[in-house]
Amino acid sequence: MEAELVAIEYFLPEKCLTNEELSLEFPDYDFHNFEKKVGIKKRYIVDGETALDLAIKACDKLFKRIDKSSIDYILYCTQSPEYILPTTACILQNKLGLNKNIGAIDFNLGCSGYTYGLSLSKSLIASNQAKNVLLITAETYSRFLHPKDRSNRAIFGDGATASLISCSKSRKIGDFLFGTDGSGHDNLIIKNGASKYQFDSDAKEFIYGTDNVYTDNTLYMNGPEIFNFTGEVIPNFTRQILIKNQVEINQIDQFIFHQANAFMLEFLRKKLKVSRDNFFIDLEDGGNTVSCTIPIALKNYSNSHDFQKTEEIIVVGFGVGLSWCGGSIFLNKGL
Amino acid sequence: MKISDFIHGLAEELEIESRLTANTNIKDLDEWDSLQAMVLISYVSEYFGVSLTGSDIHEITTIESLITKIGPERFEQE
Repeated sequence: MEAELVAIEYFLPEKCLTNEELSLEFPDYDFHNFEKKVGIKKRYIVDGETALDLAIKACDKLFKRIDKSSIDYILYCTQSPEYILPTTACILQNKLGLNKNIGAIDFNLGCSGYTYGLSLSKSLIASNQAKNVLLITAETYSRFLHPKDRSNRAIFGDGATASLISCSKSRKIGDFLFGTDGSGHDNLIIKNGASKYQFDSDAKEFIYGTDNVYTDNTLYMNGPEIFNFTGEVIPNFTRQILIKNQVEINQIDQFIFHQANAFMLEFLRKKLKVSRDNFFIDLEDGGNTVSCTIPIALKNYSNSHDFQKTEEIIVVGFGVGLSWCGGSIFLNKGL
Repeated sequence: MKISDFIHGLAEELEIESRLTANTNIKDLDEWDSLQAMVLISYVSEYFGVSLTGSDIHEITTIESLITKIGPERFEQE
């Protein structure tokens, strides 16, 4: 059985944080240059809500269009779980009023999460274990950021997305490839609060980059190392995806990569020699929402676009882990 | 690429208003921040195929020290 990405809905928190508001907190920093380079004007952050709350809102939007009783599997991608245990997907099954004879798992990935989710959904359908997979990404990094970590507060936004992947007669989800390099695990990390190190209320403050502050309780990102990893690994990885799917680069209608930051995406686009028209960059309204950027981009691209034919789209996610995953999907209408 | 062309190109990429020389400390520039580090990594990667690591960025001070990191043998004679 083949699989198809049928629908996507997303939900961003109501509370908006603009560059103007950030510049009041960080008056010495040039947010005009930030906006020009990174491409972000505003991001939305939770105000007491959790990632699960956002996920429920995204799913409720989806269920206005699709019959929720058809869902037979939940794949919930998050690094902002409600609890260490139980599995958030189980709570979601109950909150959404889904059937009890369904599968439900969480998986812990960041920016590579959505593409992993598409690949897992396809596999569940192809192996006849599910017919309608509800793939959710939900992330609230804002809750893990130090208030004085200007760089990350400017980059990351919160959000949730809900996608339906269903069985299909024709091949609408192509082949996916994966990559993992745990040697870079400490380049993007929250050290405290899980099994190895407890939350430390007296955690020391560290300065990194240009006057950014973090502690071991909050998120730390080594920007240059993450940028290097992406620049070195992702262009060639993308070429491998094309080979795996037996397609030439100029036959691809759109490249939709994880929307990390506009400068990095432009760097990747130039390395791949793809024209601007075929390479999606849009972070203005929402910023880097981690595993949510690709489904948000897919929704925005497909719904603002007149399909003249079935288009082949390459999706690639990359980041924390270090982890990367990408593949090919086919679309002929808005999501 | 000649060193003088490299410095000229770097000033353009980083949009530096003051004049850059081999002795300019990049970190002292008003324009320097972590975004500029990303621009610098991209510029060096594009022209030399060399990836500056996070610790390279941390250690770099003057343009001359940057040239040492890249490898002086990669530059053409003036």
